[in-house]
Amino acid sequence: MSSSSVVLGDERERTARLGAWFEQLLVLTSSDLRSRYGRGRWQLVKWLIDPFALVGVYLLMDTFIFYRRPYAAGLSLACSVIPFQMITMTVQSSLDAVRQRGAILGNMRFRRVLLPFSTALTEACGFAGSLTLLALMIAVYRVAPSAQILWLPVGLVLTLLLGITVAYPVTLIGVWAPDMRGLMMSAVRAAYYLAPGFVTLSTIHGRTQTWVKVNPLTSLFELLRHAVLYRSAPPLWELLVPAGWIIALLLLFVPIYNREQRHFAKLLE
Amino acid sequence: MRPGVVISELGVRFDIDRQKRPTTPALSRIRRHCTAVWGLRHISGAIEAGTAVALIGPNGAGKTTLLRTIAGVLEPDEGQVQTCGRIGSLLAINAGAMPRLTGRENALLLGVLAGLPRRWTREALDQINELAGLSTAFDRPVSTYSQGMRARLGFAVIQYSRPDILLLDEIHEAIDGEYRRHVEQFARDLQRSGGIVIAAGHDHQELARLCDQALRLDGSGLHPVPGWADGAGAVTADAAGAVTAEDSGAGTAEDSEALAWPR
Repeated sequence: MSSSSVVLGDERERTARLGAWFEQLLVLTSSDLRSRYGRGRWQLVKWLIDPFALVGVYLLMDTFIFYRRPYAAGLSLACSVIPFQMITMTVQSSLDAVRQRGAILGNMRFRRVLLPFSTALTEACGFAGSLTLLALMIAVYRVAPSAQILWLPVGLVLTLLLGITVAYPVTLIGVWAPDMRGLMMSAVRAAYYLAPGFVTLSTIHGRTQTWVKVNPLTSLFELLRHAVLYRSAPPLWELLVPAGWIIALLLLFVPIYNREQRHFAKLLE
Repeated sequence: MRPGVVISELGVRFDIDRQKRPTTPALSRIRRHCTAVWGLRHISGAIEAGTAVALIGPNGAGKTTLLRTIAGVLEPDEGQVQTCGRIGSLLAINAGAMPRLTGRENALLLGVLAGLPRRWTREALDQINELAGLSTAFDRPVSTYSQGMRARLGFAVIQYSRPDILLLDEIHEAIDGEYRRHVEQFARDLQRSGGIVIAAGHDHQELARLCDQALRLDGSGLHPVPGWADGAGAVTADAAGAVTAEDSGAGTAEDSEALAWPR
């Protein structure tokens, strides 16, 4: 056999393996979607209730408790609630991901590295659905879109990637310390309040602002606001901070997850 | 390449922390006062193509752990397991099915995870239903299934995926007589075509219909059961697995020729 045909065979094998990898991710996500959210048209309603309710509650708090009337408050809140929902739902589902898949994990070998990935993709469906909230708020506040709206997909992709990479350590925490689920959810909620979710970054000053910028949620919230509210290009740090977190989580936790997933079946039942 | 299973000095360890929770080795290094229990240790042997082996032994001997390690569900902490060929495994009581999904949805999921292309599996769903004999229940959530129905679903997917190595753990306890014959027929066909069948359980009579050789797993390792094919069916299967065909005086050690076990 000539070397070129060997290379061609390797290439085909790689493509087939990649195809199988993609198909397995697809079926894991679609089954997770049905298992968690059921079937039919109510699925979309379930996804929309949370972000709509959250924006509604925060708007009421802004108006009747804090007596604040910031510009396009609903749109600003939507810019923070939408990425936050993606992260918080991914964390919630990831904590339970291994238990949820316990039946398959104990029965057959498959690419277990796909589990956190598929969990994040499941929640990405809800994330995509919640974008209607953003569209609605743009319409309500009559904010004319500018060229800066092109930053919106960048913000959404960074949110999705952060969700995927966060899913790996959180899945491990769900396995290592299942009794810490409540604490984890509180930590995620705290991360929202330690970022400019309720207020914009410009209203935070001094050293606090510097520290708040380290929170990856800050960049995601502000990136969306730059795209649809401020209508100006985001500063470079808003891209670098989440990218840094994504790379760090990926490099640190995917190898640990890969080592630990070999023992998941021992922890089941 | 012919299917085969080679086990060398296999060890599988379970770590338990001081709150009596199972834990992973990495975590047990962080948590202090963890204890380690070996589910399997120093297990060696090989199973050649065209063999059907019953895995017997007392409760807690490690039969399920061994099957799970061969299936790749668990990875060895010591030694290694080498397999050659596509593996079909039915090791969990719920057959790996997710309760909130329908039989159809589970069949697609299990088929693709077993390595079948998604399009093929979708096109074969009715065929899988036919193999499982679930009829209209195929479109009902698996949470409404009996254990036997779940086992049928899992087995039908395995059957469709055409494995070279079939691993079954106490499947006989779940399925009815009619489907047992179906499983036996499939296992015999697989063995005849050069595949490997390994079935664990306590019902020796049923296992003897499925497998022509047997291995007893206990604290000292894996031991061939001479004369299994001739006499095991007549031997009363005790729960501790202490009574073997050897005890009944039937057969000779030559019956275990396809098993290369250390003696």
